[in-house]
Amino acid sequence: MSAPGSVDWSALSAGDERSFEVPDVTRTHFVRYAGASGDFNPIHHDQSFAEAAGLPTVFGVGMWTAGVLSRVVVEWFGPESVKRYQVRFATRLWPGDTICCQGRIARIYEEEGLPHADLALSATNQKGELLVRGKATVRPFRS
Amino acid sequence: MAYIRPPGLPVERGKVHEFADAILDAHPHYHDAEAAAAAGLPGVVAPPTFAMATALFSEADAELPPELAALDMRFALHGAQEFVFERPLFAGDQLRGEPGEVKTYSKKGRRGGLMKFVEAETIYRDARGEVVLRTRTTAIQTEGVVQE
Repeated sequence: MSAPGSVDWSALSAGDERSFEVPDVTRTHFVRYAGASGDFNPIHHDQSFAEAAGLPTVFGVGMWTAGVLSRVVVEWFGPESVKRYQVRFATRLWPGDTICCQGRIARIYEEEGLPHADLALSATNQKGELLVRGKATVRPFRS
Repeated sequence: MAYIRPPGLPVERGKVHEFADAILDAHPHYHDAEAAAAAGLPGVVAPPTFAMATALFSEADAELPPELAALDMRFALHGAQEFVFERPLFAGDQLRGEPGEVKTYSKKGRRGGLMKFVEAETIYRDARGEVVLRTRTTAIQTEGVVQE
């Protein structure tokens, strides 16, 4: 976990990586996010609804995976350092899947007198299929 | 997916804790007001995707931009989402969202069907009227049932 100022910007290099896994995703994860986000689309929590839509079961809302993926950036730089966070959704996430989150520094540069880093992010499942591709820009927080 | 334009987005400490918990993030700046204060922050910080929790604070389907309201939600999916911060969202912020730029365009899908894209921006201002956050939602509507 990073407190502000604990990131040594001069020690960062393009290509630096961080990753973690969330094993065995459950329907409870989906339901908790539905409650926290207010997104109650039944396709993400109601088995009967999902089956009626021709699906084997419920699947995760993309914004949940996007939220989980943001942790790569937040643990590294602190949540107050995020200037931009962008995600694109690919494959669906199913109960029982593992989410593999990865972040890599694509570029380091200076803007408005502050060091900035662009990160390339991805969340993949246990089969290596892309769930979410993301990009983030971070810079030190100044109040 | 909730395409709801909030009349207001209060950033509350309990809600931030709940949302961060739901995305499995234990960062102390989300959960611990003392840790946030010790780091020079005016309150706990909201996660980057927190503004998606706006549905709770709104009953405002009426405020959907017409381009999004016109989509047939049976065949629509959330393609992409972007958050651009002028500053972090802190507990205690009272934000208001207003619709920004809307772009629509079409592309041919891999299977030959036409895919209609709608990109809708929301601009969030704080109580002083300063822009804090811009979000951009990209919705994609296909001509039939969405297949993987």
